[in-house]
Amino acid sequence: MLTPASFGLAVVCIVPGLYTLALAFTHSSLGQPLAAWSGLGNFHALFQNPEFAQTLLRTVLYALPASFIQLSLGLLIALLLQALRQGQFVRSLVLLPLMTPPVLVGVAWKLLLAPAGGLVNGTLLRLGWIAEPVSLLGSDTWALPALALADTWQWLPFVVILCFAALQTLPADVFEAAALDGASTRGIFLKITLPLLAPALLGIFLLRVVMSLKTFDLVYILTAGGPGRATALASYEVWKTGLQNFDIGAAAAQTLLFSFAVAAVTWPILKALQWVERRTG
Amino acid sequence: MSYLPNTPTATLPPWQLLPSLKKLRLPWPRQRIWLRAALLAVLAFFILPLAFLVATSFKTRDEVLSGQFLPVRPTLANWPKVFEIAPLHWHLLNSLAVAVLSVLVTLTLAVPAVYAVVKLRRGPLLAGALLSSYVAPPVVALLPLFFLLRQLGLNNSIVGLGLVDGLMNVPVAFWLLRSFFKQIPLALDEAAWLDGVGYWRTLWRINLPLIWPGLVSTGLICLILSYNEFLLASVLNSRPDMRTITVAISLFQGERIVNFGQMAAASLVGIAPVYLLALAFQKYLIGGLSAGASR
Amino acid sequence: MAYQTNYRKNTMDSKDFTPFNRRRFLGTASALGAAGVLAACGKDPVPVTAAPASAPAPAADAKKYAGQSLNLLFNQPHAVAGKLLAEEFEKLTGAKVTVTPVPYDQLHAQATLDVQSGAHQFDVIDYFYHTLGALVADKVVLDVTDWIERDKAQIQPADFLPSLYDTYTLRDGRRWGLPYDGDTHVLFYNTEIFARHKLAAPKTWEDYYQAAKLITEKESANGIYGAAVQGFKIPVIVGSSYANRLAGFGGSFFTADGKPALTSPEAVAAAEELLRIVPYALPTPAETAFEHALPAFLSGKAAMIDFWTDLGVTAQDPKSSQIVDKWSLVQLPVGGKNTTPRAALNAGFGLGITTGTQKTELAWEFVKWATSKDISLQQDVLPGSGIDPNRTSVLNHPDYIKAAPLLQPQLKAAIGNALAWPLQAQSPKLMDALTEQLALIVAGKKKPKDALASAQASWEQLLKA
Repeated sequence: MLTPASFGLAVVCIVPGLYTLALAFTHSSLGQPLAAWSGLGNFHALFQNPEFAQTLLRTVLYALPASFIQLSLGLLIALLLQALRQGQFVRSLVLLPLMTPPVLVGVAWKLLLAPAGGLVNGTLLRLGWIAEPVSLLGSDTWALPALALADTWQWLPFVVILCFAALQTLPADVFEAAALDGASTRGIFLKITLPLLAPALLGIFLLRVVMSLKTFDLVYILTAGGPGRATALASYEVWKTGLQNFDIGAAAAQTLLFSFAVAAVTWPILKALQWVERRTG
Repeated sequence: MSYLPNTPTATLPPWQLLPSLKKLRLPWPRQRIWLRAALLAVLAFFILPLAFLVATSFKTRDEVLSGQFLPVRPTLANWPKVFEIAPLHWHLLNSLAVAVLSVLVTLTLAVPAVYAVVKLRRGPLLAGALLSSYVAPPVVALLPLFFLLRQLGLNNSIVGLGLVDGLMNVPVAFWLLRSFFKQIPLALDEAAWLDGVGYWRTLWRINLPLIWPGLVSTGLICLILSYNEFLLASVLNSRPDMRTITVAISLFQGERIVNFGQMAAASLVGIAPVYLLALAFQKYLIGGLSAGASR
Repeated sequence: MAYQTNYRKNTMDSKDFTPFNRRRFLGTASALGAAGVLAACGKDPVPVTAAPASAPAPAADAKKYAGQSLNLLFNQPHAVAGKLLAEEFEKLTGAKVTVTPVPYDQLHAQATLDVQSGAHQFDVIDYFYHTLGALVADKVVLDVTDWIERDKAQIQPADFLPSLYDTYTLRDGRRWGLPYDGDTHVLFYNTEIFARHKLAAPKTWEDYYQAAKLITEKESANGIYGAAVQGFKIPVIVGSSYANRLAGFGGSFFTADGKPALTSPEAVAAAEELLRIVPYALPTPAETAFEHALPAFLSGKAAMIDFWTDLGVTAQDPKSSQIVDKWSLVQLPVGGKNTTPRAALNAGFGLGITTGTQKTELAWEFVKWATSKDISLQQDVLPGSGIDPNRTSVLNHPDYIKAAPLLQPQLKAAIGNALAWPLQAQSPKLMDALTEQLALIVAGKKKPKDALASAQASWEQLLKA
């Protein structure tokens, strides 16, 4: 039962993993990988430059709040959909952002948010709510939140559909029994609904955090890491080092450090998941 | 066999599903109005950017950034032009084939593995290992995968890309299915095993029907992830006739003088098949299990 | 040099080489070229057509490549031009030519991976001239110096624009391709807005600044701004904007002895110039890429833009532009002590042959043919091709003058002393380091002097390695 998955793991993880490890310790360019041994040279360069550490921090500080907000909103929307007994058509409308090709998500939000001629600014100017165009993606403080907004738009359906499926699998008789016993609604929600959903919710949160940490498409289209370094997220920086500057040795070193950072961030969530499962399992 | 559920949750009155709203014992209409308004706001948020894209597909180059929603001088020219510029129907078929293949691969690999880890308690490290394999940006993994596929003669092919995408999504499917499998009481499986039913049959006849919504939603997610995958598709399937739709659309972006109208039209063409598929599979998302089955 | 011994085995033996009948080639090519030029005459957008059938069908000798295939890796913006080349070359020689367009930021990676993985899918590649050093170091392209020497009479290397020829092809004393598309920037401006404010075409960057300031102050309430400045954080975007100013101030990326010159007074002045236009430019330069700047200019919302020369064609197309006949162009302004206009070689492409190809002879024939005078002329006069002159004879040809009457004199005057981007093998990394600092300048996070000092330090370190 385990063999196929383990084999798949070996192909996409272990082999590339070893290759990445090898690259990280050598001078490698795209055209001449594994050209010469460089020991800890790549790592040394990364540690000397504070920018990569800042990039990792920025990525984590972006992913965790964004994922949490998406989880909360997603659960609320799933509850809403279930309460209103909406049919498959409405649910499929909710799925639309997730189905949009990533390049298009970026382009759509770029056109919406553009200061000179974007829809948001155009409408606000016409309504007279602002005197001058507002630039979100070009502003230091608002570029990352704007990125989070586009990310939320794209991935909220992911959370919604999974929460919805999780809600479907809640056993009804427990609720019947609790209602018959006269338990308060708040009590039911906090003591029954949430705990029953907790494993699923934490699993979704974990997955969203990992995916969020790997955000690439949006940065590539919307800001290319700018303005300045405001939206320089780890995955984009690794891509730039590897496929634009063609220094795949440095890119491999960055990938390894990034993986450690992600492990550090997701470890508490994993522990929480295991704790919850022990409590309710 | 009477292991199947008898009371699907969906037929119960809503207020028993949402105890939190029970205290709002208001007359029916007022309660629903607020909820309806909230739903409309949510739908508007999700649909607005796409509606804007639809409007953009009818705009000429100079009108794209005009600050207006609707085009002042609408044009139909973008739509036929995109099919001239790129054989979008081919790219669509490529994308769909790759996505379907990858979902099959993913589920075939993930479902038994999840069952083994969750129910049979075998391979406890696999979960963590899969997650950590998912963590790294695929940029550097791209190179060995590229060489590997070339050795096997599978680069620039549907099979090759489908396999790679499928394998890459196994961690996602694993972690999603894990929580669904955990919701099925172990007692059900143990009862079946005691009756002499083998592991595979237990998986197939008992577990899968009960987590049907979870399976469908996971499959749908993996389909969408694979369909929208860009980086791997652009490197592994670079030959024009084997390109996927995501890469084809990015070529519109590659111009210096970008024509957003065409790009919008091309991407709407790209969204359509997946949307229809998702619509078709939506009804399988309802269906539940009841703990009553354990009695 | 090491490369010579490696590539000696790849060069053709004399007994392998069957001379392509030069006279018939020239005859056919000029007939095709002339017919193509006639078909594409004038500034009116003409539907893209293949070469007319009036050319005499070449005899069996010229169809000797029938049945063979040739694969080109082309830049997406050159897709139309590439397709034309493919069709004509096939008519001429019978070889089937396939063009694979890829986005410009994947061009180098795809070419390198193709050779390095042993896939050898591509025979001829379209390369950014400033990445040629890296391509040579990674052994992606073939050394063609000896073949150029041998086919000198056919190629006429002296006819290539002097500022392009070495920059686009010469590395480590050897030549690795031929120039194909000579991209430069010029300054476009909206004559209607300028007339409204009684402004003349800017000659210096100070004029540019004052004009932009005036227009923005007077008309920003109507959504009209003085200039569109592209500061998006990608080398070809913000790097080009900076290079335009650096060229105008008479500066260079390197000193005469090859050391980085980013802290020179001209370089700093150029960065200051880039910074001071930010408040008066289309909001906001840090966010502005092609897709923002062009619609703004084409709809009359931005009065000036420094962009590639093919914007002129789009500006005259009523389907894409609201400013038909309401614009003009001028050379890039000058600044500081420099008074001679200078072009900046932003982007710019050559054609090279991959090291993995099996069809070196056919590939070389194609490269020679595609960069020849008649085919270049045909491509350059064709609206929508996006190809610019690579040869002096093409630049001065009456048909080209007729096709681009506004552009030709400006280009001719400025191309002589053009500013080239870094050419070393580390060029992508150098430009990335500079882009990081330029982005900080445009976002107002760092002063130009400090940012350029950081860039200078990065460059020195990168060049040492």
